[in-house]
Amino acid sequence: MRYELSVNGRAVAVDVAPETPMLWVLRDHLDLTGTKYGCGGGYCGACTIYVDGNIARSCQTPVSTVADKAISTIEALHENHPRLVEVWEANNVPQCGYCQSGQLVAAAALLDRNASPSDADIDAAMTGNICRCGTYTRIRAAIHEVAAYDATSTSSEEDAA
Amino acid sequence: MNIANVSRRDFLKGSGVFVLGAALPARANLPDGSVTAAFEPNLFVALDSDGTVTVTSHRSEMGQGIRTAIAQVVADELDADWSRVKLAQAPGDAKYGDQNTDGSRSILMNYDRLRDAGAAARLMLRQAAAAKWGLPLDEVSAQNHKVAHAGSGQSADYGELAADAATLPVPEKVARKSEAEHRFIGKPVVHVDNGDIARGKGNYGADVKLPNMAIAVIVRCPWLGGGVAKVADPAPRPGLIGLEVIDPAPPAGPMFAPWGGVAVLAEDTWTALSVARELDIEWTPSPNQSFGSEPLTAELRQMLESPGQTLFDIGNVDAAFDSDGQELSAVYETPFLGHMPMEPPAAVASVEDGKCQVFAPVQDPQSTRGLVSQYLSMPLENVDIRVTLLGGAFGRKSKPDFVLEAVELSKRLKRPVRVQWTREDDVRHDYYHAASAQFHRAMVDEKGHPTVWLQRTAFPSITTVFSGQALMPAEWELEMGFTNLPYRVSNQRMESAGIRPGVRIGWMRSVCNIFHSFSANVFADEMAAAGNRDAIEHRLEMLAEGGEMEVPGMQPPPGHAMDIGRLRHVIEKVRELSEWGRERPDGTGLGFAVHHSFRSYVATVLEVRTEAGRPKVTNAYVALDSGTHVNPDTCAAQMEGAVVFGLSLALHGEITMKDGQVEQSNFHDYPMLRMNEAPPTMVHVVPSQGRLPAGVGEPGVPPVAPALSNALFAATGTRHRSLPIRMA
Repeated sequence: MRYELSVNGRAVAVDVAPETPMLWVLRDHLDLTGTKYGCGGGYCGACTIYVDGNIARSCQTPVSTVADKAISTIEALHENHPRLVEVWEANNVPQCGYCQSGQLVAAAALLDRNASPSDADIDAAMTGNICRCGTYTRIRAAIHEVAAYDATSTSSEEDAA
Repeated sequence: MNIANVSRRDFLKGSGVFVLGAALPARANLPDGSVTAAFEPNLFVALDSDGTVTVTSHRSEMGQGIRTAIAQVVADELDADWSRVKLAQAPGDAKYGDQNTDGSRSILMNYDRLRDAGAAARLMLRQAAAAKWGLPLDEVSAQNHKVAHAGSGQSADYGELAADAATLPVPEKVARKSEAEHRFIGKPVVHVDNGDIARGKGNYGADVKLPNMAIAVIVRCPWLGGGVAKVADPAPRPGLIGLEVIDPAPPAGPMFAPWGGVAVLAEDTWTALSVARELDIEWTPSPNQSFGSEPLTAELRQMLESPGQTLFDIGNVDAAFDSDGQELSAVYETPFLGHMPMEPPAAVASVEDGKCQVFAPVQDPQSTRGLVSQYLSMPLENVDIRVTLLGGAFGRKSKPDFVLEAVELSKRLKRPVRVQWTREDDVRHDYYHAASAQFHRAMVDEKGHPTVWLQRTAFPSITTVFSGQALMPAEWELEMGFTNLPYRVSNQRMESAGIRPGVRIGWMRSVCNIFHSFSANVFADEMAAAGNRDAIEHRLEMLAEGGEMEVPGMQPPPGHAMDIGRLRHVIEKVRELSEWGRERPDGTGLGFAVHHSFRSYVATVLEVRTEAGRPKVTNAYVALDSGTHVNPDTCAAQMEGAVVFGLSLALHGEITMKDGQVEQSNFHDYPMLRMNEAPPTMVHVVPSQGRLPAGVGEPGVPPVAPALSNALFAATGTRHRSLPIRMA
């Protein structure tokens, strides 16, 4: 089947079976390998992507269900969340890095809907993403740091206005 | 020092005019005699005429930060501008020396030679500038990518001097910087691959795509040693290439050869996965089908009831048990564990025209090269092993079975093949961390100190993977936290016993230290409790005041001794860091453990309470002394990660086998610690510059599980002597 998709703001077309998970469409057919395979069962979150602004496990998302939706992946994350990506990098959050695409997308989606997440909010949003290297404390700190930065820059803009 | 100017050699073209290699033969001339054309990048340092420094990492990156650390050391001694330093990853080649990235020893083994490579390059750049300007060498200095002459104000960028430096002989002696002069060593530098990783551009094994590449997903026999009796052909479908039957590894030799099964070859991963799931396969039997983890554990437990092989024996242990005192004895048990790197094994191979190229996340590209060469009966020089980033490894990717699968399939298909393991494949066909049991028996005095101590350990040895005959634990396995414990009692005996398992055993992050540290640290806590003592005070008393203790240890360099003073220091530091004596809420317990491994000293305190009948670790405190460290932030990160790794195995880790088959399959039934269970972690890195660098990747793991067990005892009064800890 031919599917026309919107990925990272680009219109693309693939010819695959309808049940093909977006994970493999991205990796094999669109050469967007930043989205990772970790479990194939929706347990680990390494394959997390944005679908219409919400997070989805791309290994559990058949291509046939997203043909009319806006898909966004780690490769485009820095465009809308530059600060998040910079803090991730500067704080040495990644170790092996393999799960970090999914962690970053999940963290970005959390900050999209909650500008100042509590520890409990972070637990709720990030517990679906496994990091075998154990970078959780740095992920938590990085999310708090980005939220604090955004809060400061927002309030100073308000002051200026 | 053995460094050669290899600028004119011609290994890899295009990345430097001035290159230095350690332990290389003398330099060779390029055919045209030129010195400014593109030259081999040395082993470790290459300098281009535009000033770009390329540092080669010959060790594999799996999250431990080694690529960054190697660059830090070389760039510091070279006095380079960090923003002009690039990394190259070495293929598997004996010219680099040991490339086996395991045992937490990359810096330990390479620190001095990397410093010398950088320092020699700096000296030669100064020599080139001095000659160019007609000045004495000691009047020109090198700093931050420039050589300068203070008197005349002349200066030259390193790039401008590259061509001249490349013509110079390598100096016999170079001066390394003093600690005060270090700009990158000992500093918290940001990891070189972070930028790529945070933008989805990190290149791992499964990310490599070659033209005309096929994808293979292999359905492997559920038990070790079985093969394919019959397989029905699947219905044709678009993208499906076909099936290939892979025979199992012969039982006698090292079990690094492919595990038998049926490979589904397809043009894309989803097609291969889908067909693999539907295959109807009949397997051949194997003696390993009678293997089960429960009978093995029962057998280990039974072995502990009678004397094993004596490893260490002082005083008169048997007689001492007849003396006065309080007798304690306990049995500790730990299960099989899986590595579970987030990236399941994956490898790309292309076998063509008598040559083989591999792209894979392997911990040892050099031994992989040897094994591939052997497997294909192909000359070593025709085998090229390229190392990608490793999406976690923890010891799993030191076994290149998955590479050999790709090689075999590429050979048959006559096109490049990527083998993609599923998570289920990874859980069911791992090289498992050994299940084990320990027996401790002691008489303690009124202060909880042992007057006699009998220790027994039993587990299936890693050497069973290398030989069909191996049975007993190897000396180096016992030197991981058993025969080299820092406690000496006047009557003390250590014994071991081995068993052959029906599965493959492998080394996993900190290896036998995991169970040896668990049993010893919990038993020590039990001794302290028997004397009604503060656990840390009691432990400090069990150690000598200071000085060095000779301990067995086969890892290089030789002559290693345990420094009891440094061990005491990390204990005192973690006591301080955790505010050990501070009043905490009711139901909260603190647990302490300390362990020396990979030449590092780590003490850990965990704070725990129970929540809905489950342990909730509320804080973790770690003190680490790893000698000279290159990047203190990496050290801290490795300790933070080790707490998570240790808690994963202490709270959740258990692989079981029945009828030769692994009963778990994915993260739902072999869970990992997640964000909601990860405690805030404070790390103190002991300033220990000037001492021999020691391991960082592994030594944080061994104290975690016993600290948790001890904390739960403090919180609830219940002893947990088996892993994973179950509170029911």
